[in-house]
Amino acid sequence: MTKLLKKELKLTASPLSFLFIAFAFMALLPGYPILLGAFFICLGIFQTFQLLRDTNDILFSALLPVAKSDVVKSKYAFCVFIELCGFAVMVILTLVRMTLLKDSAVYRANALMTANLVYLGFALVVFGCFNAVFLRGFFKTAYYYGKPFIWFIVVALIVIGIAEALHHIPGFEAVNSFGFEHIPLQLSALLGGMMLFAALTLLSLKASVNNFEKIDL
Amino acid sequence: MSVAEIKNLCKEYPAFRLQDVSFELRSGRITGFIGRNGAGKTTTIKSMLNLVHPSSGEIYYFGLPLKGNEAEIKGRIGYSTGAANYYPKKKLKELAAVTKSFFPNWDEAAYKEYLELFQLDEEKSPSELSEGMKVKCNLLLALSHRAEILILDEPTSGLDPFSRDELLDLFLLLKERGVAILFSTHITSDLEKCADDIVYIRRGKIAAAATREEFQRSLGLEGETLEETMLRLEKEARHD
Repeated sequence: MTKLLKKELKLTASPLSFLFIAFAFMALLPGYPILLGAFFICLGIFQTFQLLRDTNDILFSALLPVAKSDVVKSKYAFCVFIELCGFAVMVILTLVRMTLLKDSAVYRANALMTANLVYLGFALVVFGCFNAVFLRGFFKTAYYYGKPFIWFIVVALIVIGIAEALHHIPGFEAVNSFGFEHIPLQLSALLGGMMLFAALTLLSLKASVNNFEKIDL
Repeated sequence: MSVAEIKNLCKEYPAFRLQDVSFELRSGRITGFIGRNGAGKTTTIKSMLNLVHPSSGEIYYFGLPLKGNEAEIKGRIGYSTGAANYYPKKKLKELAAVTKSFFPNWDEAAYKEYLELFQLDEEKSPSELSEGMKVKCNLLLALSHRAEILILDEPTSGLDPFSRDELLDLFLLLKERGVAILFSTHITSDLEKCADDIVYIRRGKIAAAATREEFQRSLGLEGETLEETMLRLEKEARHD
């Protein structure tokens, strides 16, 4: 698996997948739907899938002396690697906003979602949706990527819309807490995001492995 | 010694059926796999590599079923297709560096030798190569891990006559080293030069699988070349 992941990074990956990790810095933008940063990181990963079809990567990988299931696992590992790189940047920037910039007037006046642990939880849900909708859809054919990505756009925008709207609903204001206010709630949301990310990714992986075994290349 | 056995391979597509394809490959022998376009050569080869899934039939390499031993078997066989163009913008040395990490049997000396023989420049990427050089590039990767069986889908297509001749000489050298080679081709003169055995496929069925001499003795007419025999058989089949 390590060899396959190295192959993904050296041969398969589009440079844009790495470059788009920088969209994690959107966490610092005031007055902007910052969850779109997670969406753009997924868009960066999508560039690799566009590229891999042109480079016959799936055929090359399937001919290597590895189990076919490992070909799928390595693609998932690559996506999770990029997602977690972006997430790590988001965590650092969120902690900066929750501590040093907690009382910054520009963030306090922000009508949109603030960067806190709830935001991080939702970012993981967006990544989980990419793995569940796009990757699962792609591995139904290991060829077509357009429709799965359109479905991901729809699902991601719904998730982002819900996340942005949530704190405007009476009774849910606490999800937009600043700093360490309502920390049990914030931690629960992060934990929920983690669990959802893991569940969506693993279920999608299992389905994709089964499907990839069945399709003719 | 038999190193690969294909038994009763069947594959159904809406408009095409591969039916009961059976043949074997033996070490130190070159098998030419012939048939017209759409006869089932590539489907058979892809089934042998588990790229397409046969409806039924069995495939064994080195006495082991392909199913359940795929990774081990693929480490001992080499595959090349003239048509595929992998990672066109990556340098050949980058491709080789990644490929060799998967093959414990990778032979760096052989890699350098074939690089020299094919006059390939490691600093070039496939997009900078002609079609013929791309074929050589794929062959280079397939040959450098001391494969015991080489499965080559139209390896000579796109090659100039000199390169084709060199490649066929190389097949003869590999044969001396005990490698079993299966290569599909439309160019029957390639078979005249080096094939020991011929597997002839027509409309998804094996029409003949025999040594070249037996093939010509049983199916050819007096004074007929292999190409003439093939053409006559195809014409006869069209009238059936």
